[in-house]
Amino acid sequence: MAMNSSALIALRSLRRNKLQTALTMLGMTIGVATVLTMIALGTGAQRAIQDQVKAAGMNTLIVTAGNFQARKERPPDDAIEMGSLREPVSKAHLVTAAFHPEDDPFAVHDHQTARSRLGDSEAGLGAAATLTIPDADAIRDLPGVQYVCGGVHENVHVVSGDTRWFTRVHGDDSSLPEIRRAWKFVHGDFFSAREERNKDQVAVLGAVVANKLFGDANPVGKTITLWKQTFKVVGVVTSSSWLVNPAEGDDQFDAVYIPVTTMHSLLNLSKLNDITITTKSTGDVSKVESIVTSLLRKRHNIGPDSPDDFTVASQAAKALSSGGLRPDVASAVTGNVNGLEKVTLDQLGKTLDKSSRTMSALLASIATVSLIVGGIGIMNIMMLSVTERTREIGIRRAVGARAQDVLTQFIMESVILSVVGGLLGILIGVIAAIGISRSVQWSTSISVMSVVISFGISAAIGIFFGYYPAREASRVAPLQSLRFE
Amino acid sequence: MPPVISVRDLTKTYQVGEHSVHALRSVSLDIEQGEFVAVIGPSGSGKSTLMHILGCLDQPTSGQYFLTGRDVSRLSDDEVSLVRNQQIGFVFQGFNLLTRTSALENVELPLLYGATNISAAERRSRAMAALTSVGLESRWDHHTNQLSGGQQQRVAIARALLNNPSILLADEPTGNLDSKTSVEVMEIFQKLQQERGITIVLITHEMDVAQYGSRVISFSDGKIKSDVSNENRRHASGELGELAGVSEGVA
Repeated sequence: MAMNSSALIALRSLRRNKLQTALTMLGMTIGVATVLTMIALGTGAQRAIQDQVKAAGMNTLIVTAGNFQARKERPPDDAIEMGSLREPVSKAHLVTAAFHPEDDPFAVHDHQTARSRLGDSEAGLGAAATLTIPDADAIRDLPGVQYVCGGVHENVHVVSGDTRWFTRVHGDDSSLPEIRRAWKFVHGDFFSAREERNKDQVAVLGAVVANKLFGDANPVGKTITLWKQTFKVVGVVTSSSWLVNPAEGDDQFDAVYIPVTTMHSLLNLSKLNDITITTKSTGDVSKVESIVTSLLRKRHNIGPDSPDDFTVASQAAKALSSGGLRPDVASAVTGNVNGLEKVTLDQLGKTLDKSSRTMSALLASIATVSLIVGGIGIMNIMMLSVTERTREIGIRRAVGARAQDVLTQFIMESVILSVVGGLLGILIGVIAAIGISRSVQWSTSISVMSVVISFGISAAIGIFFGYYPAREASRVAPLQSLRFE
Repeated sequence: MPPVISVRDLTKTYQVGEHSVHALRSVSLDIEQGEFVAVIGPSGSGKSTLMHILGCLDQPTSGQYFLTGRDVSRLSDDEVSLVRNQQIGFVFQGFNLLTRTSALENVELPLLYGATNISAAERRSRAMAALTSVGLESRWDHHTNQLSGGQQQRVAIARALLNNPSILLADEPTGNLDSKTSVEVMEIFQKLQQERGITIVLITHEMDVAQYGSRVISFSDGKIKSDVSNENRRHASGELGELAGVSEGVA
């Protein structure tokens, strides 16, 4: 018997028992819809986490003034040893912390120190203000560089009327929002390139600062006072990611952003604390890093034997050094582990992947249970219908159906049930996933793979759970089944 | 030309608990092409067992059954299914139609099984032709529950005829029908025999139904008691005319 006629027989049988067909299909539909929604939510979360890792700086380099590279920077002979840092368990020598002679306010130097070159009173080991706006401009012209943003920061009191808030002011380029991809403007916008050129006294508030000073009101157009100077608020920025929530004390949203030019002229500075660089492609980070390093060494007239007076690090390495570790420990780690930023990013990514995989596994197991329930539903109904349809089987056998034809018919019926139910489930699952992601702001991701998998599973369940009842049906003897009333 | 049905020393023994029930005891029988054989006997006489074996729904304990010259008593289940599909048409007392299914689809059913692949159009035209031959062409799309008992039996006959079987086996076909409808069904059988030369085996326990056959075989205790050609054969078409006359007279 040809396949198409067995399909026809099965379809006609299903049509005869519409209610039963619909109910059985419903079980399958719910099962598949659940699987798909779960996988969509799970992979959506996973992807969101990966996006955050990327947004956190897969293609970002940060050049910081000063250099923590303790190992390369051998303390000069006149350094005063402050003690050793040892690894707590193995007692291995990590780093010898030293007081840099350049930091001694009373020292007299025979060379130009960072402080004398840049005139910064805060210059010191690791905080030396060795970067300038021309440095940033030079980097901007390098190949492979996408955005460059020079920044300077100070801790200040922000005042609005009677309200004061101690926070950090960042003097930045107007291009900063291009780099901070996880930013979202609640009100207004970032200051413009023109405002930056004009050294306008305009400020963008982080969400935390805006809340402290103005509550829920829209602060755009109002004024704040920094260093007794009046600044006009032009925007309020917050996180667009559900992974990062603005909190007091964080570097991005408990902060005030003003044009770097304004900050320089008001404070009479020429230094930059850091230069943030994004590369055009993620793969270029290491290459751009070495080009930037050699450019800056050349610009700073650093001889081949001398250490850098700046640090180039990817976002992750920077996070490590400002992530609550003691600066000397962080510097020891970054100084001693080659390619640390890559390792860290890798590990960070892997850890996040692992945790989201755990979540996916949990969701998948819930979904599997619901699929099995759907499958057992199919088996139950098919089993019932074998006894219920004994007479039908007898009629078919009498007109010439082989046992195998009956087997094929019953398997076909359950496969059609589960496949059509599965397709409906895919449809509902996709709608549900989109609906959920809209209503709870949880990103979802429906891959072709997850659709294929859930479809395959539903077909497999149809065959698996349909086989036993079908075999029972095919074993019904024609004579007995005709007598069956 | 060999007999359509040739049965030699057919025995069927059922095991019921510790007792052996001898349903058939060494039955031998030939049925020629075009005969209308009525098998009559009381319940338990073995006539139904004979019909099940003739219909390849059951296998004999011993003995041989040649259908159009071929021994079909020891075939595999698959082979027997094909024989049922191609050579045997069944008409049952309880009609045995698929419920919630149109008359046409019921008639088509044998064409969905069997070795050859038949196109949907051909299936349909052959089923329609079979329905026409029993006078039900106008009701092809009616579901079986929308048809009267007589109509359902005619659908069953159309289905039985679809593959031009060698024999038509009818097991108490009038058992669930009133007398007038019974005569109508018998008229169809007689026409099929006379006009198309179809071999018919009719199983019944009523003598007056058996009288429609050209030959009457009487069963008792699993054995043939008598096997005579029917001299006083009833003719359904004539009786139908009379019935019509009677009902007109009453009106």
